[in-house]
Amino acid sequence: MMFGLLKGLGVTLRQIPKKNVTLQYPDVKPDWPDRFRGVHKFYPEKCIVCNQCARVCPTSCISLSGTRGEDKKMHIETYDINFEICILCDLCTEVCPTEAIQMTDTFELAEYSRDALFKNIEWLAENGRQHDARKGKSDDQANHDAKAADKAGEQ
Amino acid sequence: MAELRTEEMLLNVGPQHPSTHGVLRVVIKLDGEIIREATPVIGYLHRGTEKLSEDLQYQQIIPYFDRLDYISAMLNNHAIVNAVEKAMDIEIPERAEYLRVIVGELNRTAAHLLFVGAYLLDLGAMSPFLYVFMTRERIIELLNEISGARLTYNYMRVGGVKYDAPPGWFAKIREFIPYFKEMYQLFDDLITGNEIFISRVKGIGSYGQEEAINYGLSGIPLRSTGFKWDLRKNKSYSVYDRFDFEIPVGTNGDNYDRYYLHLLEMEQSMRIVEQAIDSIPEGPVMGKAPKILRIPAGEYYAAVEGAKGELGVYIVSDGKDKPYRMKIRRPSFVNLQIIPSLLKDQNIADFIAILGSIDIVLGEVDA
Ligand code: SF4
Ligand code: SF4
Repeated sequence: MMFGLLKGLGVTLRQIPKKNVTLQYPDVKPDWPDRFRGVHKFYPEKCIVCNQCARVCPTSCISLSGTRGEDKKMHIETYDINFEICILCDLCTEVCPTEAIQMTDTFELAEYSRDALFKNIEWLAENGRQHDARKGKSDDQANHDAKAADKAGEQ
Repeated sequence: MAELRTEEMLLNVGPQHPSTHGVLRVVIKLDGEIIREATPVIGYLHRGTEKLSEDLQYQQIIPYFDRLDYISAMLNNHAIVNAVEKAMDIEIPERAEYLRVIVGELNRTAAHLLFVGAYLLDLGAMSPFLYVFMTRERIIELLNEISGARLTYNYMRVGGVKYDAPPGWFAKIREFIPYFKEMYQLFDDLITGNEIFISRVKGIGSYGQEEAINYGLSGIPLRSTGFKWDLRKNKSYSVYDRFDFEIPVGTNGDNYDRYYLHLLEMEQSMRIVEQAIDSIPEGPVMGKAPKILRIPAGEYYAAVEGAKGELGVYIVSDGKDKPYRMKIRRPSFVNLQIIPSLLKDQNIADFIAILGSIDIVLGEVDA
């Protein structure tokens, strides 16, 4: 009559010799796929201050400003993302015509204060340098290739 | 002996109760151990998605839909893009349709897996939950690879999908399917045959077909009464008409039927995925859609079969790039309506078993 229970116990016993499926985070970090949408990185030299990213952002968490330089081109001055309300939706990187804003595999955003979640241009650029170094790619060539391939696929 | 003075007791279950799967409060009036009245109190997770949508362009609304029923975000994505495409008469490429079906069915399986695990956890069984999460994790990884997120995918676009499948993705699904079948067998052995489980769910919390229809139920709560109604078959959208699959139905409309239908539906979803990856055509994944989406003035309604039932989007447009009014028919919200009548005169020990079997997600109830 209690056959079902014994069967359940059998399942448990069979599991014991098997390998763990859990990860010893934070000692071992997860290996995210290429497309993973983590915290942004920003390349100030690429940005043309077109404001498209700030306009498309559904939570309006990007604020930026730029000035016109001597070469008549726009240069970015400040670029802030408020990660209190950013939903990591990727729409900003999708519209950016120069790929100045991209997403990385950084995902640990816990902070002690709300103000610390306000990330400025230096922080975002530094995140980009670290990400590129981690990925071992010169600048963002590889990212660029991947994105170009995706874009080609879309057309 | 003097007569014992008794009185009804008012008890709050939630909003921080672990087994309400979110923040639902149910106020119950108890007469001893019998529930005389149960009133769900909702709104703790209300973010005003419908109102927010009025101030957003259509492509900006998609990430908000991810956050309705956050365990089946792909299906929510499908609901909104499908509604906008129907309203604007946009054709989308075949390959995109197939990809939508594949990710949608994978996500449906993940959502049903979570139901099975969480339901068993509600009833006090810990180990099925762990096995379920092992299996679900594989699906979540697959969806992460194609969309870049584990839960809030934001993957579909009006006119197609954001990305094509990464290299080797279909091969990974092919590897996953036999693993799933093995695990499916395990759940069936571990849970369906368990005497304690059966005695907690069989014949409990049952309602009839007429009652279900009167309450406007859809999805598994409706099908558990034997009423065959699934939008994938009855009002076929996308490319669902090309696949061979069944709509499993129950007979008694009780907890057990609802639990078992979740298992059976997963099997059917996997059947669809199997057929879809074998027959997916080559081609683009994004069709021609205008950059600024403007729906012609009028009223539109389109629905898809979400993980919990009919997930419909009703759009009133005045011809601008934002909806004038958007109403989301959230199946969890509608299905929750039956709870007061269902819990009436039940034993308090069955409270969680009944509530859990209706399978609500609070993100969707409160929107
Ligand atoms: S990821 Fe989305 S929410 Fe975050 S900054 Fe970009 S557009 Fe805004
Ligand atoms: S869309 Fe790109 S180029 Fe334009 S302002 Fe934003 S980051 Fe700069």
